Amino acid sequence: MFPLRTDDIKTSQLSNGLTVMGLEYHKLPLAHITLMIKRGSERDPQGKEGLADLTAEMVTLGTEGRDSQQLALAMERLGARYSASSGWNASFLEFFGLSEDFSSLMDLMGDMLLRPTFPQKELQQSQQRRISLLIQQRDQAEVIADEIIVQRLLDNTPYAHPTYGTIPSLGGMAADDPSSFYHRYYSPGEAVLLVIGDLTPAKIREEAERLFGGWKAKEKVDRQPPAPTRPSGMKIIAVNRPDLTQSQIRVGLLGITRNDERYLPFQVMNYILGGGGFSSRLMQRIRAEKGYTYGIHSSFQAGRIPGPFIISTFTPTATTIPLLEETVKVMEKFVAEGAQTKELEEAKNFLRGSYPLKLETPGQMAGELLRLKLYDIPFDYLSSYPETVGNVTLDEVNTLAAAYLLPKDLIFVVVGRVEDFLETLRSWGKVELIEYSEMIKDCSPANTSKHASTT
Amino acid sequence: MCVSIAIRLSFAVRCSDARNRTEPSSRNPLTPHADDDILMSVMHTMKLDFQEERLANGLKILTLEDPSHPIVSYQVHYATGSRNEKPGITGISHLFEHMMFRGSKEFGPEEFARTIQANGGTLNAFTTVDNTSYFENLPSDKLELAIRLESERLENLSLNQESLDTEREVVRSERKLRTVNSPFGLLIEQLFAIAFDQHPYQWPVVGWDHDLRRLTLEDCLDYYQRGYAPNNAVVIIVGDFKRTEALTWVKKYYGHLTPQPPLESPLAQERPQRGERRSVFKKVSQLEAFFAGFHCPGIKNPDVFPLLALNHILSGGKSSRFYQRFVKTGKAVDAQVETDPPPFWPMDPGLLQVYAIATPGVPIGDLENEIWGVVEEIQEGKFDEEELAKAKRGLITSFIMGLQSAFFKGLAGGLYTIKAGDYNMANTMLDSYEKITTDDVQRVALRYLSVDNRTVVTLQPITPEENERLEPME
Repeated sequence: MFPLRTDDIKTSQLSNGLTVMGLEYHKLPLAHITLMIKRGSERDPQGKEGLADLTAEMVTLGTEGRDSQQLALAMERLGARYSASSGWNASFLEFFGLSEDFSSLMDLMGDMLLRPTFPQKELQQSQQRRISLLIQQRDQAEVIADEIIVQRLLDNTPYAHPTYGTIPSLGGMAADDPSSFYHRYYSPGEAVLLVIGDLTPAKIREEAERLFGGWKAKEKVDRQPPAPTRPSGMKIIAVNRPDLTQSQIRVGLLGITRNDERYLPFQVMNYILGGGGFSSRLMQRIRAEKGYTYGIHSSFQAGRIPGPFIISTFTPTATTIPLLEETVKVMEKFVAEGAQTKELEEAKNFLRGSYPLKLETPGQMAGELLRLKLYDIPFDYLSSYPETVGNVTLDEVNTLAAAYLLPKDLIFVVVGRVEDFLETLRSWGKVELIEYSEMIKDCSPANTSKHASTT
Repeated sequence: MCVSIAIRLSFAVRCSDARNRTEPSSRNPLTPHADDDILMSVMHTMKLDFQEERLANGLKILTLEDPSHPIVSYQVHYATGSRNEKPGITGISHLFEHMMFRGSKEFGPEEFARTIQANGGTLNAFTTVDNTSYFENLPSDKLELAIRLESERLENLSLNQESLDTEREVVRSERKLRTVNSPFGLLIEQLFAIAFDQHPYQWPVVGWDHDLRRLTLEDCLDYYQRGYAPNNAVVIIVGDFKRTEALTWVKKYYGHLTPQPPLESPLAQERPQRGERRSVFKKVSQLEAFFAGFHCPGIKNPDVFPLLALNHILSGGKSSRFYQRFVKTGKAVDAQVETDPPPFWPMDPGLLQVYAIATPGVPIGDLENEIWGVVEEIQEGKFDEEELAKAKRGLITSFIMGLQSAFFKGLAGGLYTIKAGDYNMANTMLDSYEKITTDDVQRVALRYLSVDNRTVVTLQPITPEENERLEPME
């Protein structure tokens, strides 16, 4: 099974345009099935944020022949797990069960995907459930910090909202919104079915034809949303929560797209700066040497558009400023002096050596294959990965660092007891101050029932 | 670098409410025949066939060769966790886990991690109530490196005041993140502190803050001496490697270590609970919630299996009773029964937890009463064979899914050895699931989920202004 070769993945296309991919996995009697629609939350209409994700769930909540409970029962009787959700660039229906139940699982997936009924009662319940969860999330400083930094980095684009939506947008969904989204975007020509399991490619193809052969092709109606532009100039956002004893901190910038040829050099840069655990400069400086925090790391999302690159950490209120100062110093040093050969080699060794660990289970393999498919990256990426990583040069990494790790364009988000550090933040630049008590006003029971009743 | 609570295996629980079943099924997967099919195939092809070896110094080694993927998981599980602590040194097991990354004779602070990663490996460690475990997942050809590095820090760990002071603050910060500033961390802490008044399970794995502040270097040295001995450890090797060669390396690097007197088990036993215990916890929160715990037996007791089935029937999956009655209807944001799935189930009697988070506007007291009403249905036998069969099917599928990675197979070997005394418990799980009867489920529901055996902590939301008037928590 390793390395995966292009020939191992049996790809074909049904006459309606559905791409079918099958990969044999005979270690355990399992079947992992994913249906990916290459349309995601970037298609959420303005004011209807969260619609793509809600639509994915609604597909599992009622078909012409079965109501939501019958569907859940049918899946869970097989001991199977399932989920439906959307990311920025695609929506996913994912089933995982025993291979001997493959046909039954496919029956269920076909039923959900081709004959959903979008029952009103289910919609209302789902809206209420989602709103309640968002209210609960309002207690979590780390979620608030994550939401704000992504929003500010992707301001004025279709990506400037959480994929799960907001309390007002969820409350404001109209009865036919999910079904409109479904009819507009769920089309076989924009979909990929991937099956990994203890099955033959012939069986996979046969079942795909049986269940999805009758799925009618639709005309392509939409265009790609515009890409965001990189924000320039430093921004500081402070959320005041006096009850917190620790500050949640995010430092962000806008990175690259997934099919950017600098993707692997970018990964190497990230590893050296903050993605490499204890090997990273941030962890070494901020945790090991300074002891300011239990964890600091950087990570980036790369999709159809340049995604956020974010440093995430937390620290006791009193060390908020020293931690921010050190973080910026680490970045400045990276830009000024570049990475060292030893760091480059360690990062490359890690990425190469740990690659088989990331492709051990059917779920892991499915994730990687679908990402490649979604961003039009040929599957020989999988077998050439070690070599491609090996070819990354110090020069490429340092050029990236100089172009991206620019303290003057960073966005800082701090959620905590601001009276202890606001003055210093203000001495750095203009601070946008948000009172947590204002943020949670829309969370009161009166307000949420108002939101829900607008449906 | 570590996890202070038990890592939870991804463990999908699937079951449903039999009363509402109307769907005709073309093929009923729940007939004995179908279940036998799965069971047979699982028993024959998925046995965790560990080879066991013990060195003269007491070190136990379990190996499982699987050349199908070019990786190897190397794990060292020490049979010491927060159950081996005492008041005054709570949290030392977990703090010590941190210290294990702070350098040894050969390596500087954090160089251990750096070396493993630079060789393409991933690594981590976790501490639970019963064990402290370290692991490296690496490319096949790097096994010797992991063996050498793990033995080196076992033998030559550098313990000094500076490292202790740094890690102490790191752990206190971790405690703030995971417990103090998390939505329900302090409630769950209070639940265990009230439910247990004798046994060490009463304190959190991360420890009390006042103990973390005062722990001394001497405490650490003493703990190291007692807990980190070859005869208190299990080495696990799973994946693409050659057994003979691997054993040579383990003997080479661990063979000379000296055994220590066996670690004593906690002397304190929890007394039976006679009557419900209730308390309130005030906190800034948007939602009301309650967390309840029922004393239940340790991993070696066969009642564990019907308790797992009971867990499925009540809250496993979207067709479960709790989901359909409370989440689906909008009364609760979440309502769950929670137990640590084997092999994480605690060694000594622990708590089966039941919790619910109310939807804004739903009084928490009403929700709690309704939840106990559903528990009573099981106690009265108002569920059927088919509902149980579904729970069993879910448990079996989860077990198979747990065998996907070398790492999780290794965890099963190590944790069953420490907690149940024998890795073979992993190989009897399917049989034990199969034998659960409806009578068993009803019996354990009556025996363990009784009002007298119950402890409840209710979250009472307060405003930030009210919060200012209360003493801060650490």
